[in-house]
Amino acid sequence: MDLSALGSCLISPSCVITQSTSGLIIGLLLFLVAAGVSLIFGVLKVVNFAHGAFYMLGAYFAYSAYQLSGSYLIAVLAGGIGVAIFGVLFERLLISRVYGSPVLMQILVCYAMILILDDVVKIIWGADFLSFGMPPAFQQLPILFAGGVVPVFYLFLIVITLIIAALLGLLITKTRYGKIVRAAAVNPSMVSALGINTGVVYASVFMLGGLLAGLAGGLAAPVRSLTAGMGTSIIIESFIVTVIGGMGSVAGALVGSILIGLVRSFGSIGFPLFTEGLMFVMMAVVLVLKPSGLFGKEGR
Amino acid sequence: MTSRNRHAVGRRSVLKGAGAAAATAIAGFPFISRAQNKPIKAGMVTIGSGRGAMVGSASSKGASWEIEKFNAAGGLNGRPIELIVRDSKGKPEESARIAREFVNSDGVDILFDADSSAAAFAIQEVAKETGVLTVHMNSETSSLTADPKIRSWNAFRSARQGIHDSIAGGSYAAEVSKTKGLKTWMGCSPDYAYGRDSNKLFFEYLKHFHKDAEVIGESWPKLFQPDYTEQLTKILQTKPQAVYTCLWGGDLTAFIDQSNIYNLFAQIQVFAINIADYSILTAVKNLPKGIHSGSRYLSTFPATKENADWAAEYRKKFNEHPVNWSWENASGAKFVTEAIKKTNSVDPKKLAEAMSGMTIDSPFGVGGKLTLRAEDNTLVNYATGWGETIQKDPYVPDVKAVDWKVILELEHEWKKANKYI
Amino acid sequence: MSARSSLLRDSLIAIAAFLVLAALPYIFPSKGFTDFVVRLAAFGIFATSLNLLVGYSGMESFGHGLYFGLGCYTFALIMQNFAVSIPVAFLLTIFLSILVAVVVGSICVNLSEIYFAFLTLAFQMLLHSLIIAWTPITGGDQGLTGGIPRPPFLGIRLDNYYHLYLFSSGLLVVCLLAMHHIVQSPFGYTLRMIRDNVSRAPFLGINVFRVRLMAYVIAGAFGAVGGIVMSLFVSGAFPDFAYWTISGEAIFMIMLGGLTVFLGPLVGAVMLLLLNDVVTKLTSHYGIVLGGIILLFALGLRKGVLDFVADMWRDRRQATLSAENRSEVAASAKPAVAAGE
Repeated sequence: MDLSALGSCLISPSCVITQSTSGLIIGLLLFLVAAGVSLIFGVLKVVNFAHGAFYMLGAYFAYSAYQLSGSYLIAVLAGGIGVAIFGVLFERLLISRVYGSPVLMQILVCYAMILILDDVVKIIWGADFLSFGMPPAFQQLPILFAGGVVPVFYLFLIVITLIIAALLGLLITKTRYGKIVRAAAVNPSMVSALGINTGVVYASVFMLGGLLAGLAGGLAAPVRSLTAGMGTSIIIESFIVTVIGGMGSVAGALVGSILIGLVRSFGSIGFPLFTEGLMFVMMAVVLVLKPSGLFGKEGR
Repeated sequence: MTSRNRHAVGRRSVLKGAGAAAATAIAGFPFISRAQNKPIKAGMVTIGSGRGAMVGSASSKGASWEIEKFNAAGGLNGRPIELIVRDSKGKPEESARIAREFVNSDGVDILFDADSSAAAFAIQEVAKETGVLTVHMNSETSSLTADPKIRSWNAFRSARQGIHDSIAGGSYAAEVSKTKGLKTWMGCSPDYAYGRDSNKLFFEYLKHFHKDAEVIGESWPKLFQPDYTEQLTKILQTKPQAVYTCLWGGDLTAFIDQSNIYNLFAQIQVFAINIADYSILTAVKNLPKGIHSGSRYLSTFPATKENADWAAEYRKKFNEHPVNWSWENASGAKFVTEAIKKTNSVDPKKLAEAMSGMTIDSPFGVGGKLTLRAEDNTLVNYATGWGETIQKDPYVPDVKAVDWKVILELEHEWKKANKYI
Repeated sequence: MSARSSLLRDSLIAIAAFLVLAALPYIFPSKGFTDFVVRLAAFGIFATSLNLLVGYSGMESFGHGLYFGLGCYTFALIMQNFAVSIPVAFLLTIFLSILVAVVVGSICVNLSEIYFAFLTLAFQMLLHSLIIAWTPITGGDQGLTGGIPRPPFLGIRLDNYYHLYLFSSGLLVVCLLAMHHIVQSPFGYTLRMIRDNVSRAPFLGINVFRVRLMAYVIAGAFGAVGGIVMSLFVSGAFPDFAYWTISGEAIFMIMLGGLTVFLGPLVGAVMLLLLNDVVTKLTSHYGIVLGGIILLFALGLRKGVLDFVADMWRDRRQATLSAENRSEVAASAKPAVAAGE
């Protein structure tokens, strides 16, 4: 515990800027994964434990596409689109068969998927960790800003994830598709009574979730090492975010993710050994005081 | 109707499958038999899945190649060694279970522990209980063999030892500090037993050799943490002149990639003990120049023909570079095969007696010799040194070997301080 | 059947089961077999205790591993640090688990479904973080090493593998007997009624919070017994025992074996442990094989093995019964009536 260090950081603008951007970058990448988890839970009431594995697949797809094309843009798109397709297949072939089953049976299916995917990744890409490498365009000196340090690549990530978040928000709140999805979350039988194929809606939500997770994997790949099992840590954090923000709420996922990011970046200065425990404390406090989360609707 | 029938068949075959699995499992508990003509069984517990999968991949290659050579030369009067490898999934309790299964159900003669250091302690308990000849091939945690309460007559270590590496690192870092005028230091090591140990001892010996060194901050990422941004920015805030890290594997490559975009290496001298290993050197796309690293495995250190040849053959055979685990496991297997040849037996008592204090010819030793020290069953005299990285092969062109006399002296004092002797 | 005569019947079955277990090592004279049964005892007790919540109370806890880990570490720490006998350490461990369960349960049991699941998970992960961070006491990520002393008591010497085997089998049988008695008691039927219709319970004068809390505490205490057996088996404790995956494994055991039949979790434990051991032994592609088998079960059977068997049996019985007499069938599934007794 080093609260004096935290205190002196908070009164130094350079420290605040550096740690805030590092919190933002941790949080925003987490958001892309957590938003998918939250949407899938909100609409389908499925706790998708396999979402971390989606993120891993995105990173590996991007890796291979980058090896072939040499273009980071293509790599990220390949990660996103590849996992989107995978998400649809996963929903149609596996998850859709256990919609009527107890929640725990669904989790069992997700767990089996994690086991299989981790092994498949090991077989295809090898047991060794892989390093993506920084695309040349981002191999630049970090920007100095009011004494704080911000790498160019992270600036790019922050901007691009904020754009994705905004597009996602528009999609859910402003479009017809968004209305259908929100309606399906509240009353699926009503939606199907209106002649809308709920199967298609459900598959599309998994596609969207897969797209986001895949994009996150691809975007993060240059600064992560790729290994089988790399999805495990992000999935636990995603659940914390989902709970804190409110299940099914995109805005909640965004706020929750950034909150977790900031806790980690400032926590590493104030109490480096208990940042993980602190996240669970936050989750517990939210659940006790407002179980539906900061942005969740009451009444469940 | 037809669809119902199909389902019924499906279910029945599932049940049959489970029945068959159960039958196999029961058949898997036979009496232990040790007929003379049967192969000598060696069981290896290692990590084959998840984030640690590379441990199993490299370890089993290193050991199996050595065993292959033994078998090709006729084995023990025609008895070859059969190596069985099982995956602990990186869980110590599963490692202990598999080790017990090897001894109790498979009746192995030799137990190879090529697992994590946490698993090594669990396997050590099995070794003590069963009396099977055990070689720890990956665990670098010093207390495993240094602490007489943990040490066992039948268990040996063929791996580096943390205390040796820390003394070597401390003395090298002190030299560099004196020439470059480095005084303020920070640690950034993974928050688990190995990381905490290595970090503490490195700074202890750095200060021993260089009185002016001062640790002005520490940051502790979790093991397998994907993102080091918060640690990096903390380092940049604290502004030390040098940083020590014992991150390893994929964590280390992520750390390097992320440090690069903060331009960390241009501002701060980084001492990363685990970089000089081909798994890292070849994986990192933009390896910075001038990082200080301990030698994990390099085909150019020791700079002998034997070592270069071994690395070249390994590459040809497995189509990949050898790594630290490769030589540690190859050495462990070599000690065992030499002991089998010497005693003409697989009796654990005889083997342990032979291995205790044994010296073998090896490309990885100083002067071509490796020794299992008799007093604590651990490996000494292996090549260890430090150097600075460059971007291309040979990656660390000038490795400064550290004098074993110094290492052993300080290790002796360390043992006394910990009341091990 | 009255509660007393069913207890008598259960006890006889339990004694018979224990005698069979005690004799088995003479048929399979391998330490591999006794090792398996000791592990099975740990997981069998643990999974069954979780099913008190999941199956009988409709409380889907993701964090039951809290008690497994707590039991494991508390027992091991007491034995390592204080010169007490095994029964004393055992009772102290159970006592501490009950205390923790009362506190955690009071906070959690009011929450509905998924929120309950996540809050229990959060508490479990807090214990895990604590174990990892509190290295001087817990050994951190290395786990508690150095072995557990096992002073003999009542002629039982737990450093002997056959004694440990008998002790674990005995605990398994006794715990299952006790838990079965609980679910067959009026309290057990109250739990099922709350599970099936939570809004009706208050009208019958039932304090839902108290009943649920009691179920949670009972499950926690038995979960800790599972942890104690595990700590004796591995002669220490590992942080994995408090990690969320251990709760996951217990859930899989329940789902594989069946949650509506009392012995389902035990059968599931046998299945998952055998699967783990056999798959580890036969292939290096553990994930694909185990994952594939789990998928087959989840998508093929869609319920646990014993659930499946029970349903089949009920269908068949119903078919024959309906031909003769329809009225008998209705009585077979009426927990609410029994709960009033």
